[in-house]
Parts: sequence; structure tokens; C-alpha cells
Amino acid sequence: MIHGARQGEWNVVRRVAAMAMARDLCAIVVPGTEVARARGLDLAAAGLRITASPRHANVLLLVDDLPAALLDAAVVLYAQMMRPRLILALGGDGLPGLNADVAAAVSQPSLDAAVVQLRSALAQGAFHPAAQDFHAAALLARIEYTCPMHPEIVRTAPGDCPKCGMTLVARETQGGEAPTPEPFPPSENDPPAPNAAHVHDDETGHAHAGHGGIDHSGSQHDASKHDASKHDDSKHDDSKHSDSKHSDSKHDGSQHGGMDHGGMDHGDMDFMSMVDVTKDLPRSSDDLPMDWIDVPFGPVFPGLPGGLSLTLTLDGDTVAGVQAQSLVGVTTRLSMTDIEPHHLVDGFERLDPLAPVAYRFLACRALEAASGHRPAEDILRGRVAALERERIASHLGWLAMLGCQSGFAWLERRAAHLQRACLQADFHALMSLQSALLALLRRLNRTPLLRARLTAIGTVGAAPELRGPVARASGMALDARNGDAAYQALAFAATGRAGGDAFDRLQVRVDEIRHSLTLIQSAGDLQQPLPCQAEAVSGAGQAAVETPRGEARLQLTLEQGRVTGALLQTPSTHHLSLLGTLLAQQELGDALSTVCSLDLSPWEIML
Amino acid sequence: MSLLVVVLFLLSAAYLVAVLEDRLTNGRWRWLGPAWAGVALLGRESTLPRKPDRLFFETAPLLLLVAAVLAAAVLPLAPGLVIADLATGALFVNAALAYVLVALLMAGWGPDGAYALVGGWRFLGQVVAYSMLIVMPITAVAMRAESLLTTDIVVSQEALWNLVYQPLGFVLFFIASLAVCFLPPFDLPTAPGELAGGVAAEYSGARLAVWRLARLVLVVALAAATTVFYLGGWLGPLLPPWLWSVVKILAVSAAMLLGGHYLPRIREAQLLAWCWKLGIPLALLNIFVVGVLVLIWT
Repeated sequence: MIHGARQGEWNVVRRVAAMAMARDLCAIVVPGTEVARARGLDLAAAGLRITASPRHANVLLLVDDLPAALLDAAVVLYAQMMRPRLILALGGDGLPGLNADVAAAVSQPSLDAAVVQLRSALAQGAFHPAAQDFHAAALLARIEYTCPMHPEIVRTAPGDCPKCGMTLVARETQGGEAPTPEPFPPSENDPPAPNAAHVHDDETGHAHAGHGGIDHSGSQHDASKHDASKHDDSKHDDSKHSDSKHSDSKHDGSQHGGMDHGGMDHGDMDFMSMVDVTKDLPRSSDDLPMDWIDVPFGPVFPGLPGGLSLTLTLDGDTVAGVQAQSLVGVTTRLSMTDIEPHHLVDGFERLDPLAPVAYRFLACRALEAASGHRPAEDILRGRVAALERERIASHLGWLAMLGCQSGFAWLERRAAHLQRACLQADFHALMSLQSALLALLRRLNRTPLLRARLTAIGTVGAAPELRGPVARASGMALDARNGDAAYQALAFAATGRAGGDAFDRLQVRVDEIRHSLTLIQSAGDLQQPLPCQAEAVSGAGQAAVETPRGEARLQLTLEQGRVTGALLQTPSTHHLSLLGTLLAQQELGDALSTVCSLDLSPWEIML
Repeated sequence: MSLLVVVLFLLSAAYLVAVLEDRLTNGRWRWLGPAWAGVALLGRESTLPRKPDRLFFETAPLLLLVAAVLAAAVLPLAPGLVIADLATGALFVNAALAYVLVALLMAGWGPDGAYALVGGWRFLGQVVAYSMLIVMPITAVAMRAESLLTTDIVVSQEALWNLVYQPLGFVLFFIASLAVCFLPPFDLPTAPGELAGGVAAEYSGARLAVWRLARLVLVVALAAATTVFYLGGWLGPLLPPWLWSVVKILAVSAAMLLGGHYLPRIREAQLLAWCWKLGIPLALLNIFVVGVLVLIWT
């Protein structure tokens, strides 16, 4: 039996349906397809179709051992999927409290084998008479009561506001002290009701919390009789919105934004004056009063990097507010002090699944700087080639994400294919890929609508904190490779653009793929960076490496061959903080294009 | 009889379109793929969102299907092979397509979810952009045929297809019909990378199966309209008339799917700007040119 079986006795029709479902595996990937691609997995070749909505998926694919916050989001996604549903964990155990139906290692052959197992598990176990509901701590919610005008008033029971006397309205928050009371009793799994359609209260109570989408105040079932409650949570005005309202009481540090807004309630439309209804609503820049809704985009969302928790406050389809944070940042996963040097190097390799070589390289160089070791010339050249190969693969992965985000299906497939081919390619394989890569880049320049879609979107002005392609697209020649002797020996020269918009960032990355190919051509064979011997050495040193997203810096202190201090600076950390100003007042699609164009890696963000 | 044949044709053509769509997304020809996917959807749960507008949510997929079938009902596959040969057929197509908007708005409003809601209202903007580009090229087609009967329109192209007679109108109508079917690059209401499925995001199981079927039938209906208005309908040498219709409709459907595969999604603001500032003047020019040609040749 599979955990996510649909309740029901087997019969002929269900046998056929189970067979069909086994042939039609639709997967939603946590943390995201970009991580699966960076790990060299070809999901389509294994027979998995990627879906955008968890409602359309029947396989939850977990790639790698994931941090707890992301697993909580995965729990919510799992609850939103329709039964029968399966969990496939690659390199992990599954969800907290629920083991994966099939677990395998992170590699293409084991993925292929796992999909075969998934199919037979589904064909044999899609239905079960005693299928059970799914419960998890991340799904518990609490109802609390608050005053629409005074958000600081929060009570556990209904009543009137002590300040203004208005009736308190209910809202749902995350947190597990008490299981959800009355409105959402756990329902039976698919009971044999006369009408097949029914509401799974246990699931939809939290619909799309992790993935986004639903923003009802569930509590309005009982509270909606009051006019005031129609706009309860969406009645932000600017001052409230910016301070306490979001930061402490409501979101409570969790990633599940947006589920406590009743802005779109469309029950009981009693007559009410338009002026009355809209007088307290926030005013947009065009002075039209509208309901504002908080919509989560992530931590798992197609076209955005997985692990990035982005909540946009939408005023119509215009972005009025942004909350962005990483759920998978560095400090949650990696301790960097008092460890052996080779553990540091291994830890850095796993630090960012989107740039393992660059961070491994960074750790090796910092160790060398601290211990005074200098590798031979040919090793340095080989490292340059390995780093540039990763840059090509990473930019291709970004192009695939751009393809997904902008609905450019051909680009998504083609770039993903080339990325997988580049990942482990040796010198000769890379050279034979060269013509295909250049053809892709030429094709991009000829694609109609692409320039129109990205030009003048997300313009970033030059600022010293910018890094990597984002900086170089804004006319700044910041590049850690400029000061690197191994690069100078290969006649490296950084290039850039001046406009600073999303299209310039695309152009810079396209140019960099070309440059990296040239660099590899002159550098020759590739070489993975290996940690130097630093036994019983003491010292301090720092190193900088131009990762695909920009310069990362590491300061290390060694004492008797152990790392006692480490200070890491990564490029995405600052870029994430740009989102608030960049996205303000943009149309939703443009805002998401902007986020995508920055090529953030949530994994390298320092919390 | 015609009803049965036309409905069977719509279903089988929709199936082939689904096969092609599957090929484009997954890179392989799987001739049974859509059949398995359809049966699998029927076997899955189909839940309601927590606070749906039940009427809107349940009706929207059916309404979309009805709108698509109604549009196809006045389009002849062969002489006599048409469900209803209305005297106002060409206008009726446009009237039926107006319900696509209603269906999408209902699907957007029904589930009470943000992605769907934004998707639904986006389509309202899209309708404002494309609707004139459906009506005005049809006007020019009817001017040449001097009739709104779709069968007359086909017969009027006996000497020269409208594709050649009024190429500008064809281009505008083709682009607008992509927008009607919210196919890429006009998939603003569903936008997988922006709205995670948008208006369709909350549908699951059997309801999703109906929604997908409706969308495929809509594509076929618009391809049939393009065929009747611009590609001479059933006209053609050697092959029987119905086969010509089938071949042309399938080819147009394939072209509709293929175009968007190689393009990024258009931005909503640009869609509106280009349609009104460029598309409508061009459509007027097309009417003018066709008017002059009609005057000269008759």
C-alpha cells in the first residue's frame, strides 16, 4: 500500500484508472527543477512530466536532503496534491513523519529505476479501502481574533476590540499549539458520498500555503456576517503594512504567507455603499482603492529558484509590497568553525547545489591562502577550466529557468539539455558542444518578443554592492577574475553592458558563455580543485572566486590545521535585498521576470 | 447525423492536438499518452477549493466546452456537413467566442484563489486586445463573399483562397485566434511560470479533464474557423472535400501550437498596446484594401 492511496475498494474501472495513472506520472519538484538539472537529472527522460500546480501532480519529487523549512513547505505541497499520490525521495528520507514511497540515490540510473518502482507501486496500490488521512505539524493552524483597525490586538476568543469596540474578526495563523478547531475538522479520506465532489477540509484548509494561491481567511465562514470583516486582513494601509502587521504577529517567521487574507470573499454580497466599502482600503499610486492580497510565490514555484520564499502584496496585478527571504540560506545548513579543512571543502561543495565547483574552489583557495600553499601552474589552469565549465552550465540552467518563467518552452528544453551535457563534460566533449551552444545563443538574439519582454524591466542602477553579471550589466567592471593571475595568463578581459535591465543581464550571461568557452579552449584539460595539505598549519588568509552569480569571498583562520574562523560573503545576499525596491509598482509578470533575471541562489544567501 | 460526425471529428482532432502538445512538452511521440492521461485524471480525486463560488467553479469548464462546440457548429467540414448553416454564421462564430471570456472569468473567480483570480482578469484585458482583431478580419471575409453564410464564404474562395486575397487579414486573424485559445505566447491567464496554472490551477481530476478537453476543442474550433475563412474550407483537388477540411484544420492546429513553442510569453501591456495601435489600423487597412479589390473585380 502507498501512503497517499485514494480510499476505495478495487474494481475493474479502478484497475484501469490505476494503470493509466502509472503511465501518467506528473511531478512537482522540491526544491525545484533547477536543482534537479544542476544535479544532472533528466526528469523527462525518466518519464516524469513536470507540472506547475500541485493540484495537477501525483508525484512529489524531493531532490537531495532538504533543510527543515523546505520540508515543511513540501508537506503543504503534498497535502495539496490529489490522491493517489506518491513521494519519491532522491538522496533523502522523505517528509517529516512520512517516509518516501520510493527512495533512491541522486543519479539518473537510480532515478530511472525509481520511476519504474513508482509505476508499479501506483498500479498496485492506487486505491485502498483503509487509506488514511495525512497529518503533519506543518498543516496545523490556529484561529485567532484580531481587530481590523488595530492589528496589535490579538485574542484567542471572539469579542470586541478594547480600543474601538469593533467586533474582532477571526484569522488563521500558522502554529501548532492547538489543532485547528471547528472550521476544519479532519475529514475522512474520500468518503463514499453521493456527490463525488467534496471538500477535503484537512488539505484545503491550508491550500497552497507553500505554493501559493489561496488567500482566504478560512475563519470567515463564521465571521463574515459583519461588514467590516469583508476586508479584514486586506485592509492594510501603508503604515500598518510596513511595520508590525507582517513582521511579527502574522507570519510568525514561517514561509506560508498569504493564507490569512479574506480579501476575495464572495459570499453574502449584501448591498453596501461603494464609498463605505472602499474608504479604508489602501490607495495605490493611481488612487484607485482596491483589495490588497498577499500571494506567495515560492518557496516552490515554477520559474523561480526553489527555496526562495517570495510573498508579493498585489494591488490588482501590481506589486505593492515584497517580502523575500531564503529558507535554505547558508547559516541554517553549515557550521564553519572548528572543523577539519577537508570537511570544510566538502561542506562548501554542498553549500550551493547550483554552484558546487565554485564554492569548492573558494574553500580550497582560502585554505591555500591561509596555509601559504601555492599550487602548480597547470593545476591552476585546470581549475579555471573547471570553474568556467560550471559557469557555462550555471548560465544554461538560468536560461532554462528563464524559459520556464517566460513560457519559452523551446528554450527551457534546449538549455536544460545542453546544461546536462556540459555538467560532467571533459575538454573534448565541451569543444564538441561548442557549436550547439553558439547556435543556442544566436537563436536567442533572433527570438522575437524576447527583447520586448525584458527591456526596461528591473533596471538596477550601478552600486558597489552589486556582484557578477548583475553588476556587469549595470556598467560596472566588477569581476574577481580580473585580479587572478591564472586568468590574466589566459588573456581574460571582463565585459559588460550599461543599461542594467533584465535584457542586459541576459546579454551579459550570453556573452559570458562565449567567453568561458574561449577560456576553456586556451586553458585545456579540466581539473577539480583538491584541498591542499594543511596539517598543523596556523595562519589566516582570504580568497575570492567569481562564482556564476558573482564574487564570493571567504576569510579563513587556521589553528594547528583546524579551521577556527570563517567569514563568507556571497553575491546573492545583496541582490535579494534589492527586490523590495525593484519590484515595487511593477506588473506581476514583469516583477517575476525581474526576480528571475537576477539569478538568485537562495542556497548561498547568508541569513 | 451531421451533429454526430462533427462532434466525433472535434473529439478526434482534439486528441491529435493533445498528442502534438505532449510531443512538444516531453519530446516524444506517445500516441496513447493523452488517452492514459485522461483516464488517469478520471481516477484521481477532484476536490473543491475551500471557499469556492461553486456555481462558477463547476460551470466554467463546461461553458468553455460549449462555447468551443458552438463556434464549431456553424463551420462546414464539407458541403452539407455542418451542424447549423446559419444565415449569420460568420457573426455567430464571434458570438460563441465571447463566451470564452465568460468561462475564463468564472474559472478565475470561482476557486477564490489569487493565481486564478489574476489569471481571469488578465484574460479580460486580453479580450479587449484581441476581440477587434477577430471581428474586423471576418468583416473583410464577409465583404468578399457578400454573405455571412459560412458555406458561401468557402465557395467565394473557389478561384483564390482568402489567404492570398487578403493575407493581412489572415495574419491578424491567426494571431487573434491564438489569443482566444490562450495558447503561448498569449497564455497570460494560465502562465505556468507566473501563475502556476492560473485559471486552471485549482481544477483537478474529472473537472481538469473537462477543462483540458474544452481547451483542445477550442483550438480545433479556431483552426476550423481559420480554414473556412482563409484556406478555402473543403476546396481542393483530388481528395474528397471532408478530407481536405480535416487536413487543413489539423495543419492549422499544429501551426497554432508550434508558433508559441519558440516564443516567450507576451507582456500584457504590450499585447494591448500592439493590438490597438498596430493591429486595429492594419485591420482597417485590410477592410479598405478588400473593399477596393471587391469593387474592381465585380
